[in-house]
Amino acid sequence: MVEAIDVSIAVLLLVPLIALLAIPTYNMVNPTLGGVAFFYWYQILWMPLGALLYFIAALLWEKRDMRVEKAARAASRSKSGARRKRR
Amino acid sequence: MIDLLSIAVFIALFIFFVFLGFWGARWRKGDLTKLKEWGLAGGRLGTFLGWFLLGADIYTAYTFIAVPSSLFAKGAIYFFAAPYVIITYAFAMWAMPRFWKIANKHGYITMADFVKGVFNSRLLAVSIALVGIVAELPYIALQIVGMQAVLIALLSSFGAVNTIIEFSLIISFVILAAFTWTSGLRGATLAGVLKDALILVSVVAVVVAVITLGGFHNAFVNASATNIHYFTLPSSLYNAYWSLFVFSALALYLYPHVVNGTLAQKSAKSVRRTASLLPLYSIGLGLLAMFGFVVYGVPAALKYVNSFPAAVQGTQVVPGLILTLLPSWLSGAALLGIFIGGLVPAAIMAIAAANLFTRNIAKEIKPNITPKGETKIAQVFAVVFKFLALGFVFLIPATYAIQLQLFGGILILQVLPSFIFGMITKNLNRRALFLGLVAGVASGVYIMEAANSYATWTTTLVGTGLGPVFIGMIALAINIAVVLVGTGIANAMNITNALPKNADVY
Repeated sequence: MVEAIDVSIAVLLLVPLIALLAIPTYNMVNPTLGGVAFFYWYQILWMPLGALLYFIAALLWEKRDMRVEKAARAASRSKSGARRKRR
Repeated sequence: MIDLLSIAVFIALFIFFVFLGFWGARWRKGDLTKLKEWGLAGGRLGTFLGWFLLGADIYTAYTFIAVPSSLFAKGAIYFFAAPYVIITYAFAMWAMPRFWKIANKHGYITMADFVKGVFNSRLLAVSIALVGIVAELPYIALQIVGMQAVLIALLSSFGAVNTIIEFSLIISFVILAAFTWTSGLRGATLAGVLKDALILVSVVAVVVAVITLGGFHNAFVNASATNIHYFTLPSSLYNAYWSLFVFSALALYLYPHVVNGTLAQKSAKSVRRTASLLPLYSIGLGLLAMFGFVVYGVPAALKYVNSFPAAVQGTQVVPGLILTLLPSWLSGAALLGIFIGGLVPAAIMAIAAANLFTRNIAKEIKPNITPKGETKIAQVFAVVFKFLALGFVFLIPATYAIQLQLFGGILILQVLPSFIFGMITKNLNRRALFLGLVAGVASGVYIMEAANSYATWTTTLVGTGLGPVFIGMIALAINIAVVLVGTGIANAMNITNALPKNADVY
């Protein structure tokens, strides 16, 4: 089952890719920043921005892994419980 | 400026660096006669050190010399390296923790181990190891070019240009071969911290100097007057741009040395966190790449660069800016940072190639090697591979050194179906994967030769109906097509991988 947390992780990981694939949206000289063409500073801006989005994704992923582990442990506990009862 | 002070600083810091390398061998001591200790730092690095180790793996002479050089020679198209070193980490965050867990569970230390486990094929595993080793060679060659570029800059006022160029190459190689032997991966990590500190300081110093000189504005005016597209992409190169950055991004984490750097970390969680933070490191790459046109804003640096033959000119862009803008003590330190920036990764790559050779080729031939014998073989072959890499140096003019890395990328991309698809499904046919690998490598090399008219390699783009595109994308497409068709045929004929039923491959 796809949960909200999975969708959030996917979106966070894909946003920088999609922004950078849209070449015509940044392939221009103006507006310049300190004399640097937009083409350059815009893509460099995506580095700290990318790190931020990716780091949030990493934290969400850890949360998700913990949830999955917990569920797996609960499932195995109830299974072994059932076995014991049968015995 | 270059003078005796900068050379003295360079040498003093180099001695300090060698000390760090040796000390690193003893740091958090493990048994260095074991392959996992020598080659994977024992697998104990957390997020912080893992970040530095992977930083040393990834930000190399490629970043410091090759990218600025090609941007200088060919313009904005080579800024593809910037989006590449962002999106590659999204891919890594998905693929590598998964690989770490599988490797940890089954005791794998190379990707060929994994492929053998999932697809039950020695032929495929050995071929994967071979492609991994060969793909590292041009990448090592690029590091040697970077080290050479630094020595050329240091020594340029002491003799005839061509003598200096050759002498610098020999010295670089000897130092590299001597360094790898003793310390293994752990020494390299510590040295990586020193390198990063030096580079960070010098990049910031150069950028500040350029800004105070009004260099960016002058660079824009002067570079616009040339016939190279420096500030935007011509629309005919859109497909070249995205194919270069997307397929470079997919290639990076397939390289054996990056796989090694991943497995050297202590948990899947720290693998993912490390990857998520690496785009911060990329800011340095972005700034350095711009030096390729910034040099037009600093007349003294441009004059220095133009004093070299075209074949090595580009490699002198970054050293030239450092020499003309920084005080001599700082330029000595900065040049050492770049020198180590080639040396450490070259050592790491040679270690990774040697690991692969020992585990997945030598042991397949002679299974009863002792652990001590394994480490010895790995150490010897780390040196052998460096000699083979030297051959690639002569294949490509130094200014176009980035093509070495891109050619390595074309080769290493061909392991993607076995390695990455292999983490999703074990239902691909092993013979189809092998044929796909062969088809991908063969077509990649052939198209590379044809695109360069069977002469010196200066491009990894090939003209298609969609304009020029990266050859790696085409070769991988051929590879994948063969794998899918082959698997379809095998399924129709009921040919399986003969994995034992209920085999626990993941």
